[in-house]
Amino acid sequence: MSQTKVLILDEHRGAPPELLAALESLQAEVHRRTPGETLALAPGALGRADVLLVSARLAPATVKAVARRLDDEGQQPTVVAFADHDLHLLGSHIQAGSDYLVPPFYPELVRARLRTCHERAELGRTLEDVAAHAELLSYERELEIGREIQLGFLPDALPSPEDWEIDVRFRPARTVAGDFYDVFELVNRRRLALVVADVCDKGVGAALFMALIRSLLRHTAEQSGLQSLIAADLLNETHVWEEQTRAIPVVGATPLLNAVVGTNNYLTRNHIRQGYFATLFFGVLDPVTGNLVYINGGHNPPVLVSPDGSEPVLLEPTGPAVGVIPDVTFSLGYAQISPGDTLFIYTDGVTEARSDSGRFFGDEQLIKQLTEAAVRGEELLDHMDGALGEFVGPAEQSDDITMMAVHRRTAGAVPADRPVPQRRDS
Amino acid sequence: MSFDGTLSVSEGIATIEVKGELDASTAPRFHDLVDQAAEQGAVRLEIDARHLGFLASAGLRSLVFARQKMGDEVRIAVIGATEPVSRTIRLAGFDHSIELIDA
Repeated sequence: MSQTKVLILDEHRGAPPELLAALESLQAEVHRRTPGETLALAPGALGRADVLLVSARLAPATVKAVARRLDDEGQQPTVVAFADHDLHLLGSHIQAGSDYLVPPFYPELVRARLRTCHERAELGRTLEDVAAHAELLSYERELEIGREIQLGFLPDALPSPEDWEIDVRFRPARTVAGDFYDVFELVNRRRLALVVADVCDKGVGAALFMALIRSLLRHTAEQSGLQSLIAADLLNETHVWEEQTRAIPVVGATPLLNAVVGTNNYLTRNHIRQGYFATLFFGVLDPVTGNLVYINGGHNPPVLVSPDGSEPVLLEPTGPAVGVIPDVTFSLGYAQISPGDTLFIYTDGVTEARSDSGRFFGDEQLIKQLTEAAVRGEELLDHMDGALGEFVGPAEQSDDITMMAVHRRTAGAVPADRPVPQRRDS
Repeated sequence: MSFDGTLSVSEGIATIEVKGELDASTAPRFHDLVDQAAEQGAVRLEIDARHLGFLASAGLRSLVFARQKMGDEVRIAVIGATEPVSRTIRLAGFDHSIELIDA
């Protein structure tokens, strides 16, 4: 054992002379202080202590206060109570968990006593560390299982209809995420559902609600797809679209409305007390014409970028966030994705990405980067990734980031030499 | 990130002044203040947001909590919100259930 550092605690800075002599002969480094002095010392001024030798005349609560103070500085010295004559005072200290030292204070006896105290304390600490570490490991394992299950709530692969490129970047800030995206076929594969959503807050709570909301949206949309197809076939849908009328049915509008309204009603009816909600963009695309009907529930407006340099179009909210206001009305929005255009759908993790100095990436920078970028899907996401990475620098990612690019190829364009689109996680 | 919140109640009107950033890490402190305001039986809750620089989605969730906690008959107003904060509230469509004043 290297030189033992001993802090003696007593109201009168006293200690039995034989004990002091024994410590001296053991070449221990000894400091004597009153509890008041010790507690009043500035942080860091306490110095190291391996052993806290406390007079049995002190109240155990006072000893505890000093031990807590040392613990604040990352020190857990072995606490040993000593008594000279008044041995009966040791009882309450032993009950409080201290070790004890009684006369005669022969150097060899004191040394042996301090060593066993020290070793026992070390062992106790090691066991506590092991237990805490094991607990942490088991949490981490559970969280990792949660992450894997959550990935199962994202599509395995994205559909790739002719003349379309759909790409996604998905980067959770923590092990589990509140963001999600979905792409799936509707009404006998004649329509494509595009969903990007952000469940408020972070962590496990948001992840549980992500699973619920994703399932409600998808299930409801898939179940209500066919009725609308029959209804729309009775009308002339193309005509309906050209009129820009809000008349329903437009193919896909029924599953869209059912999914969003149904999910909002379910959440406000069953979960309003938990206060979780999602902002979401849910679009239903006709891959043949490029017509898009959508609901934007309080979500950051997706940006429609054209290669011809015209102003990007923002698909603004058509209703509030989903899961907050019972029986609220959601309107439908309409847009047209022309050949060469790209629709960029994202979550607030993009615009609220922060630089080292705390600045936000922001809407203006987003639009600027989108118009500067090559408008093809994958390249656009690469460009945005690069711009974000450069902006954020070494700062930690604070929120989930999801980006989806929906690109319509120009007529006759040769598809890029690329594998089947896969989910890109990191 | 920094956050500071103070509650004062006068003649049934509870005022919570929020400064700094309301996000996942600071929202619990805001919830505590809302709890206290509700316990004191305030009939109106005013959130003084003149010095609130950022409202994350966890902060929006705090507003939902405030709405729940105070009950339907209590009017809630966010006063003097900065542009980024009022935009976040409007974007999510919460300006229908919570009054935005001087924003």
